[in-house]
Amino acid sequence: MFETSVEHALDNLTLNDGMSVSFHHHLRNGDGIINTVLEKLYARNIQGMHLFISAIFPSYTSIIDGIKNGHIHSITTNYMNGPVAQYIYEHGLKGSLTMQTHGGRARAIKEGESLIDIAFVAAPTVDMAGNASGAIGKSACGSLGYVMEDVAHAKTVVCITDTLVETIDDPQIDGRDVDMVVHVDSIGDPRGIVSGTLSITKDPIGLKIARDAKRFLLQSGMIQDGVSFQSGAGGISLAITKEFVNILNDKNLTASFFTGGITAYHVEALEKGLVRDLYDVQCFDAAAIESIGKNAHHRAISADMYANPLNDARHIKDLDIVILGAAEIDCDFNVNVTTDMHHKIIGGSGGHSDTAEDSKLAIIVSPLFKGRMPLIKKKVTTITTPGEHVDVLITERGIAINPRRRDLIERFKDSHLPVMSIEMLLEKAHDLSGEPRAITPPEKTLGTVESRHGKPLATLFRKG
Amino acid sequence: MARSFLFIPGNVPRMLQNMDVFEADAVIIDFEDSVSASEKEDARLLTERFLTFHEVSVDVYIRINADKALMKADLNAIDSLPITGIVLPKASPDTLNVFEYLNEYKPCHVIALIETPDAFFKFEEIATHTCVKGLFLGGVDLMHALGGTMSKETLSYPRSHVLMAARAHGLYAIDTPWTTSDDDALARDAAYAASLGFDAKAAIHPNQVHPINQAFMPSVKRIEEAKRIVAMHEKHGSMRFSLDGQMIDKPVIDHAKALLEKVHTYQSGGENDV
Repeated sequence: MFETSVEHALDNLTLNDGMSVSFHHHLRNGDGIINTVLEKLYARNIQGMHLFISAIFPSYTSIIDGIKNGHIHSITTNYMNGPVAQYIYEHGLKGSLTMQTHGGRARAIKEGESLIDIAFVAAPTVDMAGNASGAIGKSACGSLGYVMEDVAHAKTVVCITDTLVETIDDPQIDGRDVDMVVHVDSIGDPRGIVSGTLSITKDPIGLKIARDAKRFLLQSGMIQDGVSFQSGAGGISLAITKEFVNILNDKNLTASFFTGGITAYHVEALEKGLVRDLYDVQCFDAAAIESIGKNAHHRAISADMYANPLNDARHIKDLDIVILGAAEIDCDFNVNVTTDMHHKIIGGSGGHSDTAEDSKLAIIVSPLFKGRMPLIKKKVTTITTPGEHVDVLITERGIAINPRRRDLIERFKDSHLPVMSIEMLLEKAHDLSGEPRAITPPEKTLGTVESRHGKPLATLFRKG
Repeated sequence: MARSFLFIPGNVPRMLQNMDVFEADAVIIDFEDSVSASEKEDARLLTERFLTFHEVSVDVYIRINADKALMKADLNAIDSLPITGIVLPKASPDTLNVFEYLNEYKPCHVIALIETPDAFFKFEEIATHTCVKGLFLGGVDLMHALGGTMSKETLSYPRSHVLMAARAHGLYAIDTPWTTSDDDALARDAAYAASLGFDAKAAIHPNQVHPINQAFMPSVKRIEEAKRIVAMHEKHGSMRFSLDGQMIDKPVIDHAKALLEKVHTYQSGGENDV
């Protein structure tokens, strides 16, 4: 069924109080669908909805109105920051907040734990058979990886597009799963959908960490022909990606695949023949979007194929090395990327704990200080990624190997790299900053951080 | 011998706190040009407090002010601090007079900054002073005084002169900092300075340190060559022999040993890539 406006589409859908509606975040801060659809649902006075959204970006401010007026009762997401996160921290939800992982979300959908009544899918291009792709169109965002599982399992799927074509050769979404297509003038602002070019950090501390990460990787013995690798889009991660690609080039090696979020640096490696395939759940910049539309070895994959722990064919099961960040880490190597020290939500796992658990070598890279506060705590309150899955912490002042990795400790025992215990690193931090006073969590609970297997990992708190 | 000397403003706490993470072999805490007149005392206090209470794993020098009154206050502030030495700006007949005053301070270790035309006519006085251990070409101020601009060509004479004066008096030689943000140009300039014979180069931003360190490390080929020379020397106990058709004698053997010592120092320090 084709419709020409969201309003008309809603007229033809069964809308109930308490229904679960899903959205994806691939259009990032340029998304024009989430706010539009939610406002129209509010106008119809749909109450008590469960918002099931892969991530919440700062521009998705209509969510706040929905919480205030009782339209949104509870939220399940993998990541959030900005005004919505701030509002939820300050005012809470009528229901609860569940923070999942990318793989955990896919698992929960497939297992029937997370039920979706209507999936509203912003789709950059749709064809006459309802097939959709994120790789082409005036609002192209590249991969639609995080919504593929929603489409496959939602009771009703509505694709909203601003580019309708006769046929799509290589669709990311199968038209047979789509119940309705809505053709609108615009699904978003391309300026907010992607960054033009993501930049490697110029911060000397970040670059020092990247150099030590390179040295660690070289000495780890992990970089062999066929190695697989994942890193994020942060400035330090990009610096390490560049170093990693340089190593491949210098040693005349070819990586098997890079996965996760893809950037120009990954694309450049593919084009130079330094990696065989890019398995892309999310394009981070314009070069990645352009590449996914033209290079057969740059493939959009679903969150299920990326990281669902119950999918034996998931790509990260074969992942050798992952580079991850941290807001806090404790002496048991538990990592928090969900809240700040005041328990305000500042992010979420995304694929953090999925990749840490599955990869052979999970490396956390971070400056030893966040502002004036030490990165390392004796105990973190919010566990996003359990320490048992974290292998190494690299900071500008030293490298700590998880005592569980006796093989790595043995390998680096004679290294001239500054390898030390995490307790020693903590002591170094306290020498410079003093020991910060412990902050007692607020009394009111907000929700739960859930492991990729669906088990509670930590409690989230709200102010007051 | 250090390969890189990184300038750090004495009045910036974050830079002081991180001085030993930038991989510079030595840092120069600056009280002079990078610190405004109103913040000189802040720089002294911060530096004094920081170095008193925190151990740092890098050689520390302090560039004091050339102005006599400021210099005296600087020296009073750093007296008894655990530093390697002092960088004396605008080393010339005028500033030489303060050397006696400097003698009261330990360590008696001064790097003379050669950045005025006058200094080029006073090398004998500067370089033979007991406390002077190194000569450091300050290209920016020198070119300003000459009315020229910094380039490979305009620096050719000052570089040669400083280098020869340093070598003639057994001092180490530090090349002028690079002042643009062009990393490739910095790497080329550092490699050129190293090829001339300078021991080290100054950096005015932490991101300049790594390319400088790389430029001042010998190549794999030179390391292998040095290893073979030292091995031959140790095997035969001879100070004069032939290797691959080249005559090897004492200066070459000493140079090979020094080169290997440098490699050992900086590889065991963890600065190298592998």
